[in-house]
Order: sequence, then C-alpha cells, then structure tokens
Amino acid sequence: MDAQFLIEVETLATVLDQLDYYGVLKLAPGAGVADVKAAYYRESRLYHPDRYAAVDNAAVRDMIGRVYRRINEAYTVLRDDQKRVRYQADVTGPDRLKKLRFTEAEESAVQADQKRKLEEQMGQTPNGRKFYASALIEINAQRWEAAERALKGALMYEAGNARFKEALEMVRAELEKTRAKGDYRIK
Amino acid sequence: MSSDIALGIDLGTSYSCVAVASGGPPQVIPNEWGERTHASVVSFLEDGHVLVGNDAKKNIITNAENTVYSAKRLIGRFYFSDEVKKAQAVMPYGIVEGPNNAVRIKVREKVMAVPEISALVLKEMKAVAETHLGHPVTKAVVTCPAYFNDNQRQATKDAGRIAGLEVLRIINEPTAAALAYGFGKDISQKICVYDLGGGTFDVSILEIGKDVFEVLSTAGDTYLGGDDFDDRIMAWLAEDFLKKHGLDLRQNKYCLQMLKEAGERAKIEVGRDGVAEIMVPGICQSPEGQVIDLTQRLGADQFNKMVMDLVQRTFKVCDEALQSARLTAADVDAVILVGGPTRLPIVRNSVRHYFQKEPLTDVDPDEVVALGAAIQGAALLNRSAAEYGQASYLLDVTPLTLRVGTVGGFSERIIDKNTPIPIEKSKTFTTSRDGQDRVKIRVYQGEDSKVEGCELLGEFEFTGFRVSYRGEVQIQVTFEIDSNGIVNVSATDLETGQRTSSTISLSSGLSEQDLKKAVDDNAGMELSSRQPPGVVGR
Repeated sequence: MDAQFLIEVETLATVLDQLDYYGVLKLAPGAGVADVKAAYYRESRLYHPDRYAAVDNAAVRDMIGRVYRRINEAYTVLRDDQKRVRYQADVTGPDRLKKLRFTEAEESAVQADQKRKLEEQMGQTPNGRKFYASALIEINAQRWEAAERALKGALMYEAGNARFKEALEMVRAELEKTRAKGDYRIK
Repeated sequence: MSSDIALGIDLGTSYSCVAVASGGPPQVIPNEWGERTHASVVSFLEDGHVLVGNDAKKNIITNAENTVYSAKRLIGRFYFSDEVKKAQAVMPYGIVEGPNNAVRIKVREKVMAVPEISALVLKEMKAVAETHLGHPVTKAVVTCPAYFNDNQRQATKDAGRIAGLEVLRIINEPTAAALAYGFGKDISQKICVYDLGGGTFDVSILEIGKDVFEVLSTAGDTYLGGDDFDDRIMAWLAEDFLKKHGLDLRQNKYCLQMLKEAGERAKIEVGRDGVAEIMVPGICQSPEGQVIDLTQRLGADQFNKMVMDLVQRTFKVCDEALQSARLTAADVDAVILVGGPTRLPIVRNSVRHYFQKEPLTDVDPDEVVALGAAIQGAALLNRSAAEYGQASYLLDVTPLTLRVGTVGGFSERIIDKNTPIPIEKSKTFTTSRDGQDRVKIRVYQGEDSKVEGCELLGEFEFTGFRVSYRGEVQIQVTFEIDSNGIVNVSATDLETGQRTSSTISLSSGLSEQDLKKAVDDNAGMELSSRQPPGVVGR
C-alpha cells in the first residue's frame, strides 16, 4: 500500500462526519440513481475491506472498515427514491450539519410521510373517507351535483384536505360548464 | 508459504466439499480415493475413534444411534424451535437440551454442542486437503446458506475455530457460486442463483459489473431441501408397506434408516433414469418371524406428483427475491443451479419454465460453492491486493431484518433486509426508571413485526453508565453487521461518550469458556485413519 493512499484514507476517515452522503461517494449533490450506483462500484473497488484483509496493520484495517461502512450507508439511502428525496431536502436545508447522516428520526419521518400520503389519498377520518369514496363514484358516473354534495360532506369532516378541495373545484367547474349552456338559472 | 493458503469449504447439510485456489484456477481437492464430495456424517466408533465422510455414512444403518448426520439443520438453533422438534422425531441419535436452551447431541454418553459435530466435518475437510497438498493448512473460508441468521453464522464460525481453522470469512453459498461463475469473465449481467441443497433453499439475485459482484436481494427457506424430497418417498413407501403387510416401518429406528436410504437412492435413480426400482431385502421381520423384503417401483410421473408442491414453494421464494430486487424473471440474464437436487429433471424443467431460460449447464452444482469460497480465500490472503487491486469484490447483503423488541411483544426495525454489509446503525435508548443502572435490550432477526415470529439473537445488558433520573440518561446503541453477516452490538453513554459494558445474557451460542473447552476436547479426538471405500468401520 503506498503512502499516498494511506494519507487519502486517513483524511477521509477524519472528515467522514463532516461529509454528506454525496461527499462520501464523491458525487455532485443531487446526483441520480445511475450515478450513485456507478460511484458505489467505484468506491467499492477502492475501499472494499476484502482488498485490505491481508494488511497487517489493524488500525488501518479499522479505518478502512469505518469508511466502507459509511459508503454502504450512503448507498442504502441514495439508491432509494423516497429516502433520497428526503435526504436531499435535509442536506440543502438550514439544519444541514445535523442531518448529514440519515438516522432513525429521518427513517421514521419517511415512513410517516408515506403513510400520510396514503391517507391523504382516501382521507384521514372514517366519515371523510366514506364521503370521498361516494364522490369518486359519482364523478365516474358524471353525476356532478351528487358529487358536489358528497365532497361538501367530506370537507365537513376534513376541512383542510387539499385533495378533497381540488376534487370539489373540478366538480364545480364541470357544473359551471353544464349550466353555462342555457341561461335560464334562477338566481 | 504453507500458511498462505486458504481453503474454500462448502459445509453442506448432507455433503461437504473442499477446494483451493493457489496461483491458478480454483480446484476441488479429492480424497485419496478420488471422492470429490464427502458426506457430512460423523460416526462415533466403539473404540473411541471418529469416522467422518462417506465411510461414516455407511454406518447410518449399522451404527445408527452413534452416527450424526444433517447436523446443519440443528446448528445455531434453540432447543424449543420447531426444527429441533422435527429432527428429534426422525434422528436416531440423541438430541438433548443444554444450558440456555441450547441444543446438545448425545452420543455414547458424550454430550456435545452442534458446532463440535460440524467441527469434525471441517477437520476431515482440512485433513483431506492437507493429505493432498502435503503441508498443514490453518485458514479457510467457510460457506453457509444466505438465509442463515446470526446465531447460525456464529455457530458455523465457532465450528471452524473448534476444528483448528482460522475462518477468514463466512460467505453465502449463492454468492460463492456466482463468484465461481463470473470470476475473471469480465461480464456485466444480472444473474439468479437457485440453490436447492440438502436441507435449505436459497435464491440470490446478483448484478455482476465486471469485477464487482453486487447482491441485489436474497431470499430463502431454511426448512426446504432435498431431504424433504426423500421424506415424501419414504412416507409413500411406508404407507404402502403398511397397507400390504400391516407393519409400520417408521416405528423402528433401524427400519427407518433403511427406508431413508432407499428413499434417497430412489430419488437419485428416478432423476437419472426416469424410473427407480426399489429393493431393500430383509427390511423387517413379521411377528411370525418371517423376513420381509421391500420392493417397489417409482415412476417419474408419480415422483413428480409427490414433490410438485415442494418445487412450487421454491418459486414463491424466487418471486420474493425478484420483487426485492425490483426485477422480473425476464430481466435475469443467466440462471445458475446449485445443489444436488437441482439435477432432478422436474427441478430443471420448472426453473426453465419460470425464467423462460435454459439454466447454465457448465457449472457443477455440487462443487461450484466450494470453488467460489476458494477464490474468496485466495483474495483475502492476497497481500498485493492492497496495491494493485483485487480481482473481484463481493458486495453482499443481510438476508433478514434486524429488530429490537419493544413493549407488548412487538419489535422495531433497525436494519432492513437486503441492506449491503458491512453496515452500522445507531439507536438511542433512555432509562425508564429513576436510578436505573442497567438497560436490557433483546435483538431479533426476522420479517414479522411481532417478536414471536422472529428469531431471538440474544439479550444484551448494558451497565456502567451514569445513574440519574429517568429519561435523563441516553444510551446510544450501535448495531453493526460485519462482512460475515454477524451482528455486533455496542453501547455508549451519549452525554459522556463513555462506552458502557455489555453482556449477552441469553444466546444459543457457546460462551468463550465453552468454546475453549471444546477446542481442547476436539483436539484430542482422533479421526479414524480413513479407509478405502468398501471397508466399513465398526
């Protein structure tokens, strides 16, 4: 092993905790999946502990092991679409220095996020979900007035639900269209 | 230079194989009689000698109670596990409970841990290699099923140590097979390794990018293997015999062993010739003292019907592996078959049908794993690797989700399955009582959110941190999975940064003390001078 490599590993091991995952994989911030994979293979060729298994110096082996575990950690987060988006937001945000590593807090945040998105799709309260489901049926059947009633009902239970509001906008626009034809509405 | 050779040992459920790669392509080492695979059977003779390998296998019938086989099915398991109960029902040798719910094997009034039995097999492999090479060997890479949990890996490693081998690495069997296939070929492919062994089934999906072997996912069933195929034939033979003669062969352990052997032979014959003529003369005596023979004919169609559901089960596991890798069967460029049972036409045809691809035929399913292990062994000893780069890099994953137990019998995920290893992850725990001076956590592996559906790895107790009000002490516990797939747990007091001491209070493994004793015991155990085939040791 040449001295230059030793210096490189040592430097990397010292600054490891100040690097974000893109830095660990020597990537430009925001790199895509294909780049992440290529970088992972490149860094694995360089720092895979198996390569240094026969090196006598245990301290050097430990150092390389530490670096490589972080490389694996970086790859695990950056190869996953959802985690990558979250991480990208974290490291470009104000708390960057605290968020360099994807910890259990972020992990559970991603999970909660997923759950929330799923709930949002169908509503968070049982009654909201019920009204929204019937509204979807009415929309499919193009019975706009019934759909409007159902969505209003849904919004009574979940006033802040963006998806419900969006659907109501759409239904109202449709209603406007049908009404606009003849101008004999009673005001 | 003698110490600079590492063996590759495929420690199988029914057969083991040893290979070496030193300055050339890897090669399987045959024993003095040209046998390239060796039965993983240990027979304890009356004179205190121990017989291992194909000779010992002959003793399964004549010396049934003192001959241990399929020990791999028991390695690293708790005494209360289903697999152990199942083994107790069919194994002629004694399986008893040891301390800490461990499994012990009792033969000729001697009680041994399961790794001690596996160690004897490893010792035989070592002896085969040493005889062939003409010098002592002390290092080895040993393989285990990809789906083995931490307990089983740890026990396999212990077995190596007891056998006097420095285990450089425990590598996964499918990964080893992929390495043997792709090594030095300079290919970029996605491959699937379908590994149906004697007792376990594994599937790994790998992406080979020139010299990098990345495991994308792995899945398996540790309760499915060639033995189950034998069992089906055995059950059929026994039922049929019961109908004809009114005698249940399964009641007698001696008859059972003959039945087992007949079942295994019939399976091999039916796979090779399409039909098996089963003939066991004098399998038992009727109450009237009449000697009865067992004769039967097993056709391919009938056999296929018997085992179809077992074969189907393997594809459920394949589905799971492909899904984790986010691939479909059509994305796979090549399929490698590993393990003896993959020689059966029904397995080959089903694999061809599932992947819509001809499985590779230029790979020997019995030897490929040992060859891969030998390549890895040579790589790990290569001093110039650090300077010039190594020929190949294995990027393996952990097969099971690592969990910690929480309240109410639930668990929390720490490290997901199919995460690349080595890896580490931390979690912070706090004290729940004022003045609490110890924190206990239980670590599990498995896919169930309830702990009873997972395998317990051990209970760790942390002490030596600051004693304070509840919730004030924060202990950061770091879970590390190393390149062997073995879990290490350590803890630090988050505020003071002081490392707390941890003890494992519940574990299926051997304590350091037990291990030392086992190493000594085992060194004293003489392997019987191996006899040429045909001579049965008594």
